[in-house]
Amino acid sequence: MSKIKVLAIDDEPGATRMMKINLESLGQYQVEMVNDSTQSIATALRFRPDIILLDMVMPNLDGGDVKRLLQENEELKDIPVLFLTALVSDSDTSSDVSLVESGDGIMIPKPVKTEVLRSCIEQTLSGVL
Amino acid sequence: MDAGGDFSEKFGLKHYQSILDNLPVAVFAKDATDEFRFLLWNKKQETISTIPRQRALGRTDYDLFSQESAQYFREMDEKIVRSGKPLEIPEEILETGDRDEVYLHTYKIPIFDHDRTILVGISEDVTETVTNRKALQKASRTIQAKEQEIEKTQLQLIQIAKLESIGQLAAGVAHEVKNPLNLILQGVEYLDRTITEKDENTAFVIEEMNHAITRATKIINELVDFSTSSRFDKRECDLAGLLDGVLLMLRHDCSRLDVQIDRDFAEGLTVHVDQAKFEQVILNVVINAIHALRDVAQPRVAITTRKSTYSDERSEGVRTGKQIRIGDPIVEIEIGDNGAGISPEHLDKVFDPFFTTKPTGVGTGLGLSVVRKIVELHDGFITITNHPTLAGAMVKIVLPE
Repeated sequence: MSKIKVLAIDDEPGATRMMKINLESLGQYQVEMVNDSTQSIATALRFRPDIILLDMVMPNLDGGDVKRLLQENEELKDIPVLFLTALVSDSDTSSDVSLVESGDGIMIPKPVKTEVLRSCIEQTLSGVL
Repeated sequence: MDAGGDFSEKFGLKHYQSILDNLPVAVFAKDATDEFRFLLWNKKQETISTIPRQRALGRTDYDLFSQESAQYFREMDEKIVRSGKPLEIPEEILETGDRDEVYLHTYKIPIFDHDRTILVGISEDVTETVTNRKALQKASRTIQAKEQEIEKTQLQLIQIAKLESIGQLAAGVAHEVKNPLNLILQGVEYLDRTITEKDENTAFVIEEMNHAITRATKIINELVDFSTSSRFDKRECDLAGLLDGVLLMLRHDCSRLDVQIDRDFAEGLTVHVDQAKFEQVILNVVINAIHALRDVAQPRVAITTRKSTYSDERSEGVRTGKQIRIGDPIVEIEIGDNGAGISPEHLDKVFDPFFTTKPTGVGTGLGLSVVRKIVELHDGFITITNHPTLAGAMVKIVLPE
């Protein structure tokens, strides 16, 4: 069984590295990291992820900008995106997996447990979310 | 030889009446040895009293004025005669039939002549001065009241500005703190998973770190709740059902602490609220009440709902809603307890962020400030007072119907 390819975009290298370590330790994930959001499209085109984890607040291009660029790209527009953000709180949550629907899409509030992250990824890929 | 001597020698008494009648002050005289009957009544006295001279002469105060006024004049006159000294009365009221109250500045002089005593009075009409002064005093009191109101409003504005700046600060801090918290959480998770053989201490350290992260996250989330006006999903909710739902969540705490819950819900009341947010409000308030009942012998929480009309009954700790006006139909929810209550110096502060009487780690001090914010975002307001009968605190939440 081929691994699930995750592109983690966050300006904080520690954050992407931590996600990579945790998700890959689960076995079925392969994680590529982007810390300079202007490199998001180029990396996505090269890596061809199954899903993208996108930090909301970043310098240069923020999460919303990156999402728009992805949607404008014919080859990337269908890749599902999950936002990670420190801006919303847990009490805004509308479901068990701590998700918030906003205009931009599904938001996962930080801090987030790897278990929750995995659950979100699986549900998104299976079309539940 | 004095001037008066000259005048009376030349003219006798015939011009005295003319002089008296042209004085700008009222002059009268009473015969103290004959029931204080009037002997003298000049023109100005006619004008002021609206009583003509012919009617006044030979009569007493009792014939001319009200019983009350006459009695006052008589007592004053007798006192002056007894003392034998003139008296200045800076302000006295004369009630007349035609005019409203007239204020007089009066001198009364007793004159002793052999076996007779005459009481002479000279009065200046000071009604205008007194009326002006009273109007001025009233205006000054109004100004004072307005000034106090302005001062109070200023304090409230300062308070609002303070809360807003705390809110902005909180939002910024929350974002900056949640990112490192995210790293710590995932780092601890990784250690927990990869350290397969944990001794007792390692297990303890990891567990405590997880607890600490949960606690910090909770505080930060409360801060974010406080600082952002989150999205609201308001619907018509059955109030009794909502309250019972919250009480159900708290049934373990209530039975553990032996707290008796008295429900007195008006039937069929609905409120237009974001159910989840409003449950948080009730939950917070009831938990506060339960916390206040720790050392109480027969702990009770009384919850009452009713339909009412807003009548601006301001009290200590009041926070007024933006849109409720006097006469508006409202729904009131009262949550009282029989705990120790709130000390007067704390009543004003309980809604301030970070105000808490609980030990560090138990309360963040954000609960009631978040509660107030949510209630205000529902166009309602919340007050906290000490309960009139239960001795503990009473929180009243008022929502537009």
